[in-house]
Amino acid sequence: MNTLKGLLLKDLYVFKNFKSNIIFSVFMFIFLITMASLRMDIFTAGSILFLIFFGMNSISSFSYDENADSDKYLLSLPITRKEIVFTKYLFVFLNSFISLLIGIIISFIITLLIRGKINNIADSLRVCLIAFTSVSFLMCSNLPCIYKWGVEKGRMQSVIIPAIFIFILGIFGGLLLMFFPELYQDIDLLYLFKISPFICVILNILFYLISYLISFKIYLKKSI
Amino acid sequence: MEYNLEVAELEKKYSNFHLKHINIKLPKGKIIGLVGENGSGKTTTIKSILNLIKYDKGNIKIFGKNTNNLTKIDREKIGVVLDDSFFAPILNVNDINKLMKKFYHNWNEKYYFEKVKKFNIPTNKPLKEFSSGMKMKIKVLCALAHEPKLLILDEPTNGLDPIFRYEIVDLFADFVSNKENSILMTTHITSDLEHLVDEVIFILQGNIILDIAKNKIDNEYGIIEILPENISKIKKEDYLKCLKYKNIYYILVDSRLEFQKKYPKLEIRKPTLEEIMLILVKGE
Repeated sequence: MNTLKGLLLKDLYVFKNFKSNIIFSVFMFIFLITMASLRMDIFTAGSILFLIFFGMNSISSFSYDENADSDKYLLSLPITRKEIVFTKYLFVFLNSFISLLIGIIISFIITLLIRGKINNIADSLRVCLIAFTSVSFLMCSNLPCIYKWGVEKGRMQSVIIPAIFIFILGIFGGLLLMFFPELYQDIDLLYLFKISPFICVILNILFYLISYLISFKIYLKKSI
Repeated sequence: MEYNLEVAELEKKYSNFHLKHINIKLPKGKIIGLVGENGSGKTTTIKSILNLIKYDKGNIKIFGKNTNNLTKIDREKIGVVLDDSFFAPILNVNDINKLMKKFYHNWNEKYYFEKVKKFNIPTNKPLKEFSSGMKMKIKVLCALAHEPKLLILDEPTNGLDPIFRYEIVDLFADFVSNKENSILMTTHITSDLEHLVDEVIFILQGNIILDIAKNKIDNEYGIIEILPENISKIKKEDYLKCLKYKNIYYILVDSRLEFQKKYPKLEIRKPTLEEIMLILVKGE
């Protein structure tokens, strides 16, 4: 457990390097949300923006490790490959989750202070969770590429592979619509939206689990 | 004799490099120096020992256990310095202390900060602002501060100034003085090994070309400097190798006594490790 804490701490230290940038960005974000809230309710958009802006910063910890060739050193300490991969996934998840949480809290307070109320808060939170799942999808398709090719060399693959997944899903959905149009007529979108938190949780677990297993397999075979 | 490290018939093949028949037996209380030019296979050997790469053949044991079967507790007894790998350069000495405390049960914070102070290492500066020598000092302290029994050091004196090299060599000598601890170190700065190692292994293009006790070098090996016009007077079978450098022939022999008997008029002296390495690598 201590090892995991140590590895998480190591990744957290990366943020130290752009501490002032983060503080500045948060204040800018608060300012923009405040300005926008004067005209409309942007509780959902604000939360999602915060998630997108800060939730994907965890990739930089891979860059720092890569530049210092840290994995070689870490593996010579009493640390296993499994612990290294697991902690990275935990870090990526926590970073996205906490970013969303902070985004929601900031947007909630600002919207409440300026507009006095938040419309359809449950629906807004559902949309936030769908956005979180989309970010998880992107991150989880990126991470095995990083483990396979590294942050720099895997940059192109990190874009192409999620795009391929989305393309395949689109084709699949299109074919379904073409050959089984009645399927879409039967789908109750409102019901789907209502149960979306449950679907999102399942999808997040699946994304992280599958991605972790692929990354771990890649990392296990890798010569450091 | 009990060994902290045993490497038997290690082999690793790359497309352009073949490390083969690497045998190392490191007893308790001893220091072995693995010496060779860049690209000779020293780091591949270290990486194999640390399980960082999968080797093709051979067997490696640490504390009598196959390296694949080492527990975390066993691995806590190994201290490592790698020339080209460490924590991210944004970390400082205090951050590293906090991390190492999490990774090692035996992390000796007091020892760490005592040495940090002694070596004048700044505690709040990030590693990226350190000189390479300063960085190496921290790496060495990290390897020592968790009270290991075996040190595996890849070029630990690289980039160090002579004063700190002297201090560090002293630290290593002190480390093995309990007759339980051992050190395997690679280096191409052979002068650091002169007064430190018990055994030297010379490695060239993936092969061990000489594995010898340091006292045998001190007591038996010899070097003769001779002008080109006199080289024909010495029979080839009477020496190991010979190197011509700046119009002088340097002849390496494995028995000063025997050579002196055959050639009493020639002056013979003890060779340095650097001379041995040069003659073995470049000589004929």
